[in-house]
Amino acid sequence: MIRIIVLSAFILTQSCSQVKLIPSTSEQIMSKIKSFSSQKAVLLNIWALWCVPCVEEFPMIVDLDDEYDELEIIFVSADFHEQKSEVQKFLKKQGLDSISFIKNEKDDPFISGIHPEWTGSLPFTVVYSKNSGIIVDSWEGKHSESRFRDAIDIAIKS
Amino acid sequence: MKYILSFILLLSLNKASELSIGSMMPEMGHRMKNINGKNLTLSDAKGDVGTLVIFSCNTCPWVIKWEDRYVSITEAYSPKGIGVIAVNSNAARFSGDDSLEKMKKHSKKNKYNFPYVQDPGSKLAKAFGATKTPHIYLFDDKDRLVYRGAIDDNARSANSVEEQFLSNAIDELIAGKPISKETTRAIGCSIKFQ
Repeated sequence: MIRIIVLSAFILTQSCSQVKLIPSTSEQIMSKIKSFSSQKAVLLNIWALWCVPCVEEFPMIVDLDDEYDELEIIFVSADFHEQKSEVQKFLKKQGLDSISFIKNEKDDPFISGIHPEWTGSLPFTVVYSKNSGIIVDSWEGKHSESRFRDAIDIAIKS
Repeated sequence: MKYILSFILLLSLNKASELSIGSMMPEMGHRMKNINGKNLTLSDAKGDVGTLVIFSCNTCPWVIKWEDRYVSITEAYSPKGIGVIAVNSNAARFSGDDSLEKMKKHSKKNKYNFPYVQDPGSKLAKAFGATKTPHIYLFDDKDRLVYRGAIDDNARSANSVEEQFLSNAIDELIAGKPISKETTRAIGCSIKFQ
């Protein structure tokens, strides 16, 4: 009986737990990326619920996260803060259960702080190398899985 | 290692570039279909003092948040010689959400007071290096780009804006002053190229 109660409580906790969504500036995001230097390659993906191509490519990126041990994927939502709970629901549905990030800075400084060549178009993806932390590739818009894999493979080796 | 660095360089070069400040307005004769059914070019839309080109669309949430300011800015500056045109370059969606019929409805609903045209083949967006909606380009009376970027610093509410990027640039252009902030950036929806 105790075992059933404990199991039920565990299932309930798991089903109700939400992804912790951390409001972050570009500086905080960059600092998070740097914290993985020499340990893992990093893929940064900036997305929004409203952005159809972002939502379309999201599951593919989550799958890559599961596949590569030497890769850390950082998702940053650019949604307005009143949509926070919808963002959390989406992330949960995508199988993410730990922490994720939401933009907490005005557009212009945020964009400049993330990448000097980013125009602000979504989705935006940047891949950082494992050892040197330099940018291996970055792109705006939805792209093929092969472009992601090519960049990740290079990032893990460099 | 040499191979890896070359590959990184190759990837980093694979990027379209935005029209730079001081560049001449490209594709001025490109014929685009206006919501009134007539063809229109950028030359037709030019103002005596300057020209404002807004890359926009019907459905992008950032457009929806910002487009009230398309109207108020046109109202304020059209009488002062600024020509305004909104360009829909989502060519991949011209048979869907960005059809001319839906553009007409969108324009009417939002009380657009400027032409709203379809850019065949996204040719204008490609020439400008425009990537998203909204994406703003302001030219002077000699058709040189003087400002590029966002309307202001708050998509959500016109009442909460702290910095009026575009209005400030237009005021400076009209006054014959140098533009103090020539480029800004904002989040937007990617243009759906054909």
